[in-house]
Amino acid sequence: MSPLDYRLLVHRVSELVIGEETAYEGGRLVAGRSQLEGLFADPALARVSLDVARPGEDVRIVKVLDAIEPRAKEPGSGRIFPGLLGPAQPQGRGDTHVLRGVAVITAGYLPRAQEAVIDMAGPAAELTPFGSTHNLVISFEPAEDAPWEAVDAALRRGALGVAEHLALAAVGAPPDEIVRPPRPGRCEGLPLVGAIVNLQTQGSFKDVLVYGRSFGACLPVLFDPNELDDGAVVCAQYGHPALRNPTYIHQNAPVVQVLRARHGVDLSFAGLVLSPEPVGQADKVLVSALAARLCLLAGFEAAIVTKEGGGNADADVSLKLDALEELGIAPVGLFAEMAGRDGTDPGIVAPPQGSAALISTGNYDATVALPPVARALGGERLDIAGCGATDGTDLPYAALLCALNPQGWGRLTCRAA
Amino acid sequence: MKARVVHYLNQFFAGLGGEDAAGSPPGDRAGPLGPGRLLSTLLAPEAAVVATVHCGDDLAAGDDGALVRIIELVTAHRPDVVALGPAFSSGRFGLACVRVARALSDRGIRCVAAMHPSNPGVDEAAGLTVIGCGESARDMKDSMERLARAVRAVIAGEELSEEHGRIGPLARVTVVAERPAAQRAVDTALALLAGNTGLSEIPPPEFGAVEAASPLDDPAGATIALLTEGGLCPVGNPDRLPSARAQIWLRYPLGDRAGLDPGEFMSVHGGFSTVWANEDPNRIVPLDEARRLEEQGVIGRLYGEVFVTTGNGTAVASARRFGSEWARELHNAGVQAAILTAT
Repeated sequence: MSPLDYRLLVHRVSELVIGEETAYEGGRLVAGRSQLEGLFADPALARVSLDVARPGEDVRIVKVLDAIEPRAKEPGSGRIFPGLLGPAQPQGRGDTHVLRGVAVITAGYLPRAQEAVIDMAGPAAELTPFGSTHNLVISFEPAEDAPWEAVDAALRRGALGVAEHLALAAVGAPPDEIVRPPRPGRCEGLPLVGAIVNLQTQGSFKDVLVYGRSFGACLPVLFDPNELDDGAVVCAQYGHPALRNPTYIHQNAPVVQVLRARHGVDLSFAGLVLSPEPVGQADKVLVSALAARLCLLAGFEAAIVTKEGGGNADADVSLKLDALEELGIAPVGLFAEMAGRDGTDPGIVAPPQGSAALISTGNYDATVALPPVARALGGERLDIAGCGATDGTDLPYAALLCALNPQGWGRLTCRAA
Repeated sequence: MKARVVHYLNQFFAGLGGEDAAGSPPGDRAGPLGPGRLLSTLLAPEAAVVATVHCGDDLAAGDDGALVRIIELVTAHRPDVVALGPAFSSGRFGLACVRVARALSDRGIRCVAAMHPSNPGVDEAAGLTVIGCGESARDMKDSMERLARAVRAVIAGEELSEEHGRIGPLARVTVVAERPAAQRAVDTALALLAGNTGLSEIPPPEFGAVEAASPLDDPAGATIALLTEGGLCPVGNPDRLPSARAQIWLRYPLGDRAGLDPGEFMSVHGGFSTVWANEDPNRIVPLDEARRLEEQGVIGRLYGEVFVTTGNGTAVASARRFGSEWARELHNAGVQAAILTAT
């Protein structure tokens, strides 16, 4: 066994209930209420409450903050979410247990958060990965006088702890599937295609953590994609619901998954570069040039660039596309269009100057009619629409979690009509 | 089975009268009416005009209640397609056609309107299907033939393009693709490496260019205005300046203030952290520095009001309107230069 051998042991969950003691057997997951509540013991939190939202149920989740796929390391092979649960050390080896079909979702008010919505039924359910997962929804009340940053940190630590705790219940259970992710590298005769994943880094409540540290002041890094599977990248980013990458998306990075699946078939997976999205223009230019240089050094022949966030993050993609092109690497960028409600505004705030190919994940401003629902979790109001959380309302795609996911999870696009 | 076409007309073509009947309420009748007879003949045998809905242009182009009633009348006839016009170069009829077609399209009903390219309705019709036709009713026969051809194409399930005589701006419409965006991105990367071009799903945006004005000859004699899209407003935001997608701008008198006091002004901009703006609102609108320049005689005097809006996801059409309103007003007030702070 090589020191970097790595397997994902996937357990498919078909039923999630809250009970007395956490247990997993044959696709049925019981979440032990008091065990989970204990993971949120923190001076910054007064109280948490747990609910379940199932696919197809007449339920809406409002004020969604993060979504996490339950995962745990096989005991003895490290710790999931390094830097937050375990020591900040590279993982990505040994065995990782994955509870597929489940998400741990945090919901409630935090400052600077833009309200994200998930519908479990109706037209919006298929626009988010979490319309088809069994969701354990965690709502919370902050402790009086607790600083919001402390509330955020406690909530995140608790939710990541829940994700690990649940997946640990599957240790020893026979997996439904065993995945051995391929290592990036050249397959004879197949072109090398890699990814640059931009992470939005704008300070508290709009940040991304890598090994538990803000990625804000970092330079781009060539990153072992297996580290994503083990939770080295965690969302602390509550802006732009449709354009943020919840932890679940980092764990299941869509472009990386496609590149892995097609490695040895019609391409060679060249590798992954993570880049921050600095707020200053000069820093954007610097990290873009450096990210492109890393791709060149790693042998990329083509690169797919993804973003996180709204209009100013367009520049982080465009500058990289142009820098890649200059180095002779074929550039493809994923963008959500911000074309206005009627679709007539220019869709990209800062377009590339060169000839990069641009893939659309849909129009941010176009609207979807959400029907009224029987029950809502996460809050009583849908503040962005100025109505009750269970009311029917028109919402822009922008407000639906992951509807225009910049890493390319979804199937929306735009065409001229 | 014959396709069901509902025809929309204004008061004039419905035979109710001209300008004097522009306020006539929505109405309907079975079968074709007036020019609709020609349309129905041209559509045979595949389709027929099963009903005509009409309304006075004043109501149809502006009244919400009338629009609701028109939609009720049209939908009651269960149309496969709604044909509107031809409106020729009649502006209000053109705008009415667009308004009705937009409301019907939002409900998933396919619509085809016909009007002359000069009709102001064309500019408002992004995303709707408008067919170019003649300028006046003298061109009725040819215009109706074009409309009928387009209606037949829509019934046949075709997407109408310039080749069908379609005019007007295109809109970006969100649709569901066969494959996720991540797969399409990888497909596209491989296609690029294979030497293919023209693979973008997004056309390059056209923003237009704004040329900077030439410097003032005599700033010491000039009146200078301060403007911002930085979401500046009095503390508490009494006039409800939006934090994003503004469709309004506001004005606040500067009086004899030497600067913007943090107890009095704040920013509601939703696109950046307002902590530092609220700590010192002069960081958004540099009134303090401008006053110093005014005192030193570097500039003549400051204009008495600051114009504010929020530039965050603001529609280009809104921003263009704010700009022309600001320019007109400042020009009329004898202002020679303006400093627009962007955030």
